[in-house]
Amino acid sequence: MTATILGRVVATERRPNTPHEFHFWTALDAPVGIGTIVRVETDRPVSGVLPRVYGVVTEAFGFTDLQTPLHDVLGADGDPAQSVAAPTERTEIRLYTAAVLRHVPEEPLQPVAMGSVHLASESDVQIALRMESYATGESARGIPVGLYRAGGTEAAIHLDADFLLGPEAAHLSISGVSGLATKTSAVEWLLASIFAHLPASKGRVAAVCFNVKGPDLCFLDQPATALSEEDRALHEALGVPAKPFEKVRYFAPWSAKGGQLATLRSNDALQENVQPLTWGLRETLQYAEVLLNKDDIDAKADALIDFIKERVLDQVFTDPGFLERAHEVRSFSDLEGWFRELLRSMESRNADVWRTHHVATIRKVRNRLSNISTRCRGLVTDDGSVSDLPFKEFEDRTVYVVDVANLEEDAQDLVFARVVSQLREHLEKRQLGVEQVVVFVDELNKYAPADGPETYVRKMLLDIAERGRYLGLVLFGAQQFRSQVHRRVVGNSGTSLYGRMDPDELATPGYQTFTPATKARLATLEKGQLMVRHPHFGQPIFVRFPRPAVLGGREGVERFPQAEELPLDAAVTKALRKLDPAITLGWVKDTLALAGEDEDGILRARNRTLQARPDDVKAFFRAHLKKRTPTEPVARRGPTPLRVPGGDDPYA
Amino acid sequence: MLAMDAGRRISRSYGAPQGAASVRSALRSLRSAGIRAALPSAPLELSARSDQPPRLEAPLALEGATLAVRRVAGEPVAGFTAFLDGVQRSQVVGYADAMPIVHADVAAVVRERVTRRLRTWRAPRVIRRLYAPLSSLDPALALVLHERCGAVDPFAGEEPTLVRHPQECTARALTAVQREREGAELALLEEWLAGPGGPVLVDGGISGSRAATTDGRAVGVVKSHRTLYATGESLPVILGLREGERTTAVGVTSPRRFPVATWYLRLRDPGSGSPFFGLVRVEVAREGDLTARADEASRWLLAERTPVALPDPRWDVMSYGVRDCEQYLSAIIR
Repeated sequence: MTATILGRVVATERRPNTPHEFHFWTALDAPVGIGTIVRVETDRPVSGVLPRVYGVVTEAFGFTDLQTPLHDVLGADGDPAQSVAAPTERTEIRLYTAAVLRHVPEEPLQPVAMGSVHLASESDVQIALRMESYATGESARGIPVGLYRAGGTEAAIHLDADFLLGPEAAHLSISGVSGLATKTSAVEWLLASIFAHLPASKGRVAAVCFNVKGPDLCFLDQPATALSEEDRALHEALGVPAKPFEKVRYFAPWSAKGGQLATLRSNDALQENVQPLTWGLRETLQYAEVLLNKDDIDAKADALIDFIKERVLDQVFTDPGFLERAHEVRSFSDLEGWFRELLRSMESRNADVWRTHHVATIRKVRNRLSNISTRCRGLVTDDGSVSDLPFKEFEDRTVYVVDVANLEEDAQDLVFARVVSQLREHLEKRQLGVEQVVVFVDELNKYAPADGPETYVRKMLLDIAERGRYLGLVLFGAQQFRSQVHRRVVGNSGTSLYGRMDPDELATPGYQTFTPATKARLATLEKGQLMVRHPHFGQPIFVRFPRPAVLGGREGVERFPQAEELPLDAAVTKALRKLDPAITLGWVKDTLALAGEDEDGILRARNRTLQARPDDVKAFFRAHLKKRTPTEPVARRGPTPLRVPGGDDPYA
Repeated sequence: MLAMDAGRRISRSYGAPQGAASVRSALRSLRSAGIRAALPSAPLELSARSDQPPRLEAPLALEGATLAVRRVAGEPVAGFTAFLDGVQRSQVVGYADAMPIVHADVAAVVRERVTRRLRTWRAPRVIRRLYAPLSSLDPALALVLHERCGAVDPFAGEEPTLVRHPQECTARALTAVQREREGAELALLEEWLAGPGGPVLVDGGISGSRAATTDGRAVGVVKSHRTLYATGESLPVILGLREGERTTAVGVTSPRRFPVATWYLRLRDPGSGSPFFGLVRVEVAREGDLTARADEASRWLLAERTPVALPDPRWDVMSYGVRDCEQYLSAIIR
């Protein structure tokens, strides 16, 4: 423990010390700044113990003995050059305000006494942030979030896994302006840190990341092109291997044309771990509320949708009085057939009501449901083929990236709602395959806005924020403006990270607890710097984190250019070759020509093949193409001649 | 390294004061001696008035036969490496048999200038004492005051008198305090001059010290002018000085002091204001080429006009270094 005195505590009547805040002065060249952690030592024992106080600098002042600037002007005769040439420099002071991080002992909680101020050593930082209780020892559960660096002291800052991933507290909120890649980088770094440091005793953990824009999360399994020596040193200091994620799986819906997946990770070299994300009627109808607004689903419509879900879907439905045939509704096209026959039947019977459902309600629900497959084209399939995340088979330390960047807003909401709901359901049943899942959502202000209508997604996010920690469902939310995220979501985030902040955002009430100097520092943070709030830390702490050892989105797109949209036959070939490399374009062309199928039918056959992953890919694919029915020439019949009645019998 | 320097600079730069303790502990001692504390009063220095009226005193011609005006040759240049000043603060803290008991703080310091910044040279002199007319008090009480409180009798060495005017006691105590301060200043000055240090600007005269009056490095600056070293004819020369002008050097002698050379220097333009605005009297050792010496010291003093010593009301004649000494001493004897 260093004995070098950095400063001395001062208190005046106008600026007294409190148990939570104290002031100290230093020499002009003292290595102190906003965010520096210091230790105060006094020589006056309390209850027989010499108290120690740890604080973090939150404000800084510098002034001279000048009473007014005018005095300096007078002294220099109004000539700034004269002031520079003065033989003596004015007495100048550096006065700092520090917020108390911890008193040792904790009781009695008294104002900070006069004493000497020292730079915190590495062990001081541990004590000041209460890290000694969870970052070291046999039951260590610290997750390094960054390196504290000030005045020659470097100390790894750990988050408590119990307070980051639950069950004590959970969730993380990261805010910062766009364009510095801080938010995404920080989350990537923290996930790598969690994967590297979460002890086995805390269970298995996986991450589900929603890529809502750009290519940022598209290359997590690829190494960074140029990791600086400093970044490598930071990785080493924090005990996180400077390697990309070992296990990453990508899921993306098909493009609108259906030829290839709608993701920026479409380069042929990276297709090994990319899978389609497609859902059928059953998966979609469960979350119809996401896609239908309040005008759409009044009580009557809701009742009909429930009826369809319970009585029609995935079963043989008969209604001899109304329907001519039995319907087995498994896809949107089946549902459309069911609706069509039902409405035709009602029309023919001139019936207004069917099983208490009014014809207008039926028409409305038909209209709203049938256009879902259009609105969510690529994600929702007409034919009911499903390709989903491997719920029940999640693997430890694996990142599952769901790329919804190219989907419409409604479809993004649907993906989000369903994936998170499925995670929750499987976690509740302990059937997910891992005990804890980190769900990373960028642009959280869009999904859980502070104001605006109550949406299904927002309700679900609030539910996760408030109850997810008991299940192991942890929300890592990123947003540019924290003030625009629902306060129950940010309020339930045990840990908050702040990158460089927009000054206007800092002027909002949510940042009132920060000093002007802290706000100024937040507004000028460099890339790779964060301010951290964590339940164990009495005050926010500034840390540095390394650039993640994964390929950045922009570099990734340059290194792995997006594949061009292929003609249908070539796209099918490419997809099927993943299952059977022997498949050639020629075979596909011949098969398609023989089948004479339309585009939707070809895509349907491809999707089913990909979903089933059969041993005999060719046979399976061929079997799911409709066979062309050979057309036979039919002699054109002429008009049927009228029979001429013979005799007198008019009835003959 | 920086931190180590910082640590050295912010550690306490002075030792325990001589004599009695602070006002608080002095009051505690008085209380234990059965003397009630007086109500807080203003420092005696604020209420003290000099008994002697302002006067003119004819000097001894040294640089030319008559007092003349000289423009200081050359540009102002920083020449002082240190500044010396002392302060005193005294107040009545109690009464014994209606006689006032005075507590005084006296301190002096040399602030050395290193790379344009001022820092304390060695330890400042800090003296704290109680003054009581012990010979006029009940002997038992006087013994207690002397032994327990370290009280000093300002009338020591004089015929014991049972009855004294209380204000005489405060006046004598104040004189004793003043002497104590001058003694502290001169002792510190001689300590400085005994070393290899460069020129030192002393706030006040230097004629009380033999060493100072024989060492060219000591330059005294007198800001008050109750005694003007001029004749009736030469007074307009002094009062008519313009900024950057000085008088020729003259000699000053006094029975209890050592001879020095002195001259008047106008530091700032008085405009149409007081003729004493910006006027100082400079004292140096009476040796060597006085003209060159006076010009050199005057250039040094003119250079010290910045930074300005505001908000001190004597800023027109006070150098920033001296103000810094006062600020420092005020802080440590408070």
